[in-house]
Amino acid sequence: MGTEKIKENRRKFFKSSVALLGGTLLYSLLKPFELIAQNKEGAVKEDKANDTLWGMGVDIETCIGCGKCAEACKVENNVPKEPFYFRTWVEQYTVKNNGKVKIESPNGGIGGLKQSVPDKDIFKSFMVPKLCNHCTNAPCVQACPVGATFISPDGVVLVDATYCIGCSYCIQACPYGARFMNPVTKVADKCTFCYHRITKGLKPACVEVCPTNARIFGNLRDRKSNLVKFLQKKQTEVLKPHLNTHPKVFYNGLSSEVK
Amino acid sequence: MEEHFQHLYQALSHVDGYIYPNEIDLHWGLMIVLYPYITGLVAGAFILASLERVFNVKVLKPTYGLALLTALAFLLVATLPLVSHLQHPLRSYEIFMTPNPTSAMAIFGFVYLWYLMVVLLLEIWFDYRLDFVIWSKKSTGFKKYFYKIITLGINDTDEKSAKLDDKLGYFITVLGIPSAFLLHGYVGFIFGSIKANPWWSSVLMPVIFLFSAMVSGIALVMVIYMVVSWVRKVKIEMPVLDTIARYLLYILIIDFTLESLDQVHRIYEAEESFDIIKVLVGGKLNITLIYMQVLLGTIIPLFTIGFFQVYKPSEKIRKTCYFLVGIMVLIGIFFMRWNVVIGGQLFSKSLSGFTSFNAVYSGLEGYFMAAVWLILPLLILAFLLWLMPPWKKVSFQG
Amino acid sequence: MPKVIFRLFSTFVVFVGVFILIQQYLKPDSFGKYGHYRANAINDAKLIPLQYKGEKECITCHQDIYDLKYSDLHDAVSCESCHIPKILATDACKTNPPKVEGSNEFCGQCHAINAGRLKKGPPQLDFKDHYEKQNCIDCHNSHAPWELKK
Repeated sequence: MGTEKIKENRRKFFKSSVALLGGTLLYSLLKPFELIAQNKEGAVKEDKANDTLWGMGVDIETCIGCGKCAEACKVENNVPKEPFYFRTWVEQYTVKNNGKVKIESPNGGIGGLKQSVPDKDIFKSFMVPKLCNHCTNAPCVQACPVGATFISPDGVVLVDATYCIGCSYCIQACPYGARFMNPVTKVADKCTFCYHRITKGLKPACVEVCPTNARIFGNLRDRKSNLVKFLQKKQTEVLKPHLNTHPKVFYNGLSSEVK
Repeated sequence: MEEHFQHLYQALSHVDGYIYPNEIDLHWGLMIVLYPYITGLVAGAFILASLERVFNVKVLKPTYGLALLTALAFLLVATLPLVSHLQHPLRSYEIFMTPNPTSAMAIFGFVYLWYLMVVLLLEIWFDYRLDFVIWSKKSTGFKKYFYKIITLGINDTDEKSAKLDDKLGYFITVLGIPSAFLLHGYVGFIFGSIKANPWWSSVLMPVIFLFSAMVSGIALVMVIYMVVSWVRKVKIEMPVLDTIARYLLYILIIDFTLESLDQVHRIYEAEESFDIIKVLVGGKLNITLIYMQVLLGTIIPLFTIGFFQVYKPSEKIRKTCYFLVGIMVLIGIFFMRWNVVIGGQLFSKSLSGFTSFNAVYSGLEGYFMAAVWLILPLLILAFLLWLMPPWKKVSFQG
Repeated sequence: MPKVIFRLFSTFVVFVGVFILIQQYLKPDSFGKYGHYRANAINDAKLIPLQYKGEKECITCHQDIYDLKYSDLHDAVSCESCHIPKILATDACKTNPPKVEGSNEFCGQCHAINAGRLKKGPPQLDFKDHYEKQNCIDCHNSHAPWELKK
């Protein structure tokens, strides 16, 4: 083989490499436009197909603070039993006669909440179940650096456990304290509305076990669902509305003391 | 894991008031304190170097190369505490593969890359290229090969090429100033954009981070200049120190004003979160904020350097004072980062209670690891100074 | 163009090119299908095994108990509110039914007196006044609480 030949081969190699690289570059430049073009058609189709938007109503007036929901959630979703990890929990608020507010949630309310303030000092007291609010403008989804947490097409905020890098930024971004770092999987963990249940037609575990039907789960786009009826009948409120997160968990009987 | 739970049970017994049950653990620990601290040192050191170049401050010439290499040494380490804090460090490449355009942290990865690859490395390269060529002829062994490779085969030593290097280097420096501002303003934005946390969520956060970064970077270069001179057994030039100290004073005044403005704004507006922040500042952050950050890190340095502007004591006294002030400022800014990162997690987002910080010595998030991340850049700097000593440059007139 | 700029610029272009190449290669398959996430993660979330089976599953064997429960005031309480599923397979549930202790403390989770519980809700008892030493199920049938045992 002469030097010419080697040179020619080399030139060929360079040419093909450049072509490959250029092609990839061009492809990646064009890709976003391609997606936009697809999206326009896709969006219309999806709107017709997607008639589900999951949400939850919580009736503070009927919650008795038995903690069954928090317990069932841990069993159903394999959440560590230690009292630092909760996908849902129940808080007891006690407004005292002197105006001070005492908030308690020992072990997330599992085992039933017990009143620690003597009756004579109590102005009023009520229970507030808490969980991920599945915000429409979810700050956690906005903050995740890699796209490991997202809002599913049916409105549930989920965590991709195989993709999460465990940076805790989403935990910092959540105003409701609904996220935690799972010590076993070492990824961010949170309420999924029991996604594995609701997609099979079952209720979330917390709703299933609630003895007083204080949690109403359903499809916000289904006019006949119990949830929509609940929202029509009751004056509902969301948590921390000033943060503009637009939660999909609605509370009836929310008092101004609740934070 | 048992140990981790034990810590948490301990923290649980120290909870004050009511916190959401998931908030007992501080998700961001010492590593995230170090991250803005080290990034700040980088930005500050670089801005000091740029001042010399762009505004042609001739007095600072002896610190120019030093400041650039300091910036590089710390920048190389800046992301390591972040990665070591991740629960899945091996997945960290995902930040570059699928960066979420709405996430402050994801974009930071690119800001960092831009700053490292395009600004800092290029500026240093333009600054040293001629010297690399010359040195490659003189040295042997590893150094020779390193110099040869790093020139990228551009071996011109004529005046024209040196002038071009200078011109391009100047261009990069001008580009570098906004980049350095961006780099550290961005770190502030990572915290300032968290609306869930009233202690962080402030428009002033990026600006405060930027100026505190400049303060810490200038103090670091000042200290390193003194130490390096001592080690090299050359005379410390007082005009250099006086000038750096004067810059330190100016920036310190701006920084202090901005931070005070932020606090005054909080106090006057007294929003929903003010009640708990008041308790936080008066209690859990009392020592680190009032004594360490404000008194040790700001007031004493301000008055010392301020005093030197009116009355100049002997060189020896000034030297000692500058050294001490430099160290104090560095400690103060460290606690500023501490107060932001740890302070912001000590109170509950329910605004009704506090958790506590658990000191850990061993492990990836412990004090030992923190010490490693603070000493490593100094070792890298020592290596860089050995490899490319700024005082042996052709153009050096120090 | 000076040699320096050309060489640096081509280094930069090569770097960006390689970066994009790696990005194409390492990006997960279904990423970006619906949004900035792995679309397959939605399916992953569906794959968790069920623990709570729902009443329909219980009825397949225990229709009688369900009818009894439905006839009394615990009608709205789901089986699994008290019988926490410790066994996954329904078959095992037949041979080894998940027992409930029925102690004052257990029933007290719902029935202990607490100012936070509405009066119109489930009956609230101060167990100190109400047969303190005995278990609830000594007198009450837990499935039909008003059907008192002798």
